[in-house]
Amino acid sequence: MSGISDILVLIKQVPDTSSKAGLNPDGTIDRAKAKRMLNPFDRYALQAALHVKKMYGGRVTALTMGPPPAVEILLEAIAHGADQGYLLSDRRLAASDTLATAYALHKCVLYLGKMDLIFTGLQTTDGDTAQVGPQIAERLDLPQVTYCEDFSIEEGKLHARRIVEGGHQDVICNLPALVTVANAYHQLEYKTLRGARLIQELNRDEALKNQYIHTITLDDVSADPELCGLKGSPTIVAHTDKVGQIGGQCVMHQGKSIEALVKEITGGTQIKEFVRQ
Amino acid sequence: MSEESPEIVKPINADQPVGEVLVFAEQCLGELQPVGLELLGAGRILADKLKRPLTAIVLGHNLGDIPKTLIAHGADKVYIADHPDLEQYRTLPYRRVICKWIEQMAVEPHTMLLGSTTTGRDLAPRIAAHFTTGLTADTTELDIGDYDHKGGSDPSKIGLYAHCLYAIRPSFGESLKARILGPWKNPQMATTRPGVMVPLKPDWERTGEVITIPVDIDSSDYRLAVKETFREVNQTVNLAQADVIVAGGYGLGNPEGFELIRKLADCFDNSAVGASRKVVDAGWIPYNHQIGQTGKTVRPKVYIACGISGAIQHRVGMQNSDLIIAINKDPDAPIFKFAHHGIVGDLYQVLPEMIRQLQSSQSSSPKEVSSVV
Ligand SMILES: Cc1cc2nc3c(=O)[nH]c(=O)nc-3n(C[C@H](O)[C@H](O)[C@H](O)COP(=O)(O)OP(=O)(O)OC[C@H]3O[C@@H](n4cnc5c(N)ncnc54)[C@H](O)[C@@H]3O)c2cc1C
Ligand SMILES: Nc1ncnc2c1ncn2[C@@H]1O[C@H](COP(=O)(O)O)[C@@H](O)[C@H]1O
Repeated sequence: MSGISDILVLIKQVPDTSSKAGLNPDGTIDRAKAKRMLNPFDRYALQAALHVKKMYGGRVTALTMGPPPAVEILLEAIAHGADQGYLLSDRRLAASDTLATAYALHKCVLYLGKMDLIFTGLQTTDGDTAQVGPQIAERLDLPQVTYCEDFSIEEGKLHARRIVEGGHQDVICNLPALVTVANAYHQLEYKTLRGARLIQELNRDEALKNQYIHTITLDDVSADPELCGLKGSPTIVAHTDKVGQIGGQCVMHQGKSIEALVKEITGGTQIKEFVRQ
Repeated sequence: MSEESPEIVKPINADQPVGEVLVFAEQCLGELQPVGLELLGAGRILADKLKRPLTAIVLGHNLGDIPKTLIAHGADKVYIADHPDLEQYRTLPYRRVICKWIEQMAVEPHTMLLGSTTTGRDLAPRIAAHFTTGLTADTTELDIGDYDHKGGSDPSKIGLYAHCLYAIRPSFGESLKARILGPWKNPQMATTRPGVMVPLKPDWERTGEVITIPVDIDSSDYRLAVKETFREVNQTVNLAQADVIVAGGYGLGNPEGFELIRKLADCFDNSAVGASRKVVDAGWIPYNHQIGQTGKTVRPKVYIACGISGAIQHRVGMQNSDLIIAINKDPDAPIFKFAHHGIVGDLYQVLPEMIRQLQSSQSSSPKEVSSVV
């Protein structure tokens, strides 16, 4: 008996910066136009949650905070095998920084009830702070394992390996705990056949969808709106500057014979100055 | 609202006491980590602008010369917590000791800085959430200045604020620099990437106060135990001084691939072999070759990345190289976003050809020279 009954995974929808859509000339993102995707780091968190379910049992809930389209990533999580999804969506959350985000999400966790394990991604590609997970853990007074790259559950405890400078660290942690999953963890497995079929059904049947996906507001989770959004955020972005693209535009060498490509480098760049004579 | 004359505006926070600048100095196995000294270098400038002391806090066991080193590098005061249970970093005991110490201060620190290391990024958000204060991740520049907050949905925050921490960091895929502020609450917190700030030259004559702080760990702080930490010993590979670094990644496919990497490196004077973390973790090459967030930060004249995708954690260790040449068979690999020259191709075809061309230029050059003489 592993004693695991509930597993939570926190996922976020982020702009897809690999596509040119919605990218302003100055490098900022037009979120309305940009393509959306599941934060790549959260794929590892989802895999970790699904792994626990498969190996030790329990139910996987995916939770996200974001605007209505973020339902897409909850459906994606369900297609991969998550049991249900919660979307916290509320206008009063606009412009939340990590502290306000963590406050709102921790209220959701309290609302959802006891969780044995909470997984988050290491960081997001848009916020890029790696702060939300530990800040939720602090609010919930949970132990945390950050930079986790592998784990097992033995006798009701989490045995985890985390990345540290110059190597690795093995830790043993009581449950419940919050785990931020590093991108060195296993890749997200393919959608299950069952999951893919289920999504088709959900997309046809709104009532059924509502059994799997729950949209909640700050009031539902008894969150104080003063502590959310711009009001609840101790930081603001006061100013942005363009920086010359680091490294500049890359000169691409392709589509010729290898000899010709290499010649462009060995003959056309400063590397020749360093060649051993 | 009444129109006010714009002449002399008194900052809202002008009468509030301003606290010190506090740096978390990380140690590992009793060894002070360089990022602590870098933060002191940056912190010294902030403290001087604020006219407040620069202090450092260090937790561990048998800390030896560490306080002295911190003072030599600019700290006016060092707080030490020495306890066997603090020897290895663990989130909960560390955050408790630090938060309790800050809580008993008459004036909380104005600014608190930590490294963007696996430790600093684990600890900083816990402290920030505890004090419900602002935290900016991965800053690359820090400064002190005024801030006139004009808008926002919260009228109570509007006004001019004096001596705020400017926490500056890259954002949006690094094409923008954002200045992030949080003047409403102290400590104003930031983490800083290792290798970015410059430590002061040590002055071993400098004196400062060393204060032992209480260690009061709660039984609930033992919910996590460290079983073992593996660190590869750091016999030096000359990455820091090399003019040319040839680095290999997982695209090599197997450990033998590094023979080709070495051969290419041998074509250059003063060269060294680097690696991504993925190949180090795979055991293909020792850790002391690793470049990146959890490896070394390098700045050679030429960096040749072979079969490396260019993940952010790799990039932060090498993006300041003068000339970056990337060889990758995937034209969409992120490394091509910041390299200067990219060859799209199989490294097993590109590298042998590159070695051949460089070697033939080797044998031709001396001839040219001798013909001139
Ligand atoms: C906390 C933390 C710290 C980290 N610290 C570091 C760090 O210090 N340094 C670091 O490097 N990473 C670090 N990482 C890991 C980092 O996120 C990446 O996983 C890692 O850099 C990827 O290594 P890679 O590029 O060699 O491998 P991959 O990402 O697998 O890339 C291999 C590349 O090789 C290309 N390729 C494959 N075959 C060929 C071929 N025949 N010819 C040409 N190209 C080919 C592929 O197209 C691909 O782009 C860290 C991660 C975490 C979470
Ligand atoms: N709006 C959000 N909704 C759900 N999870 C989030 C949200 N923002 C951050 N997270 C989680 O916190 C992790 C770290 O995010 P960040 O601190 O923004 O880098 C992410 O990988 C997610 O797992």
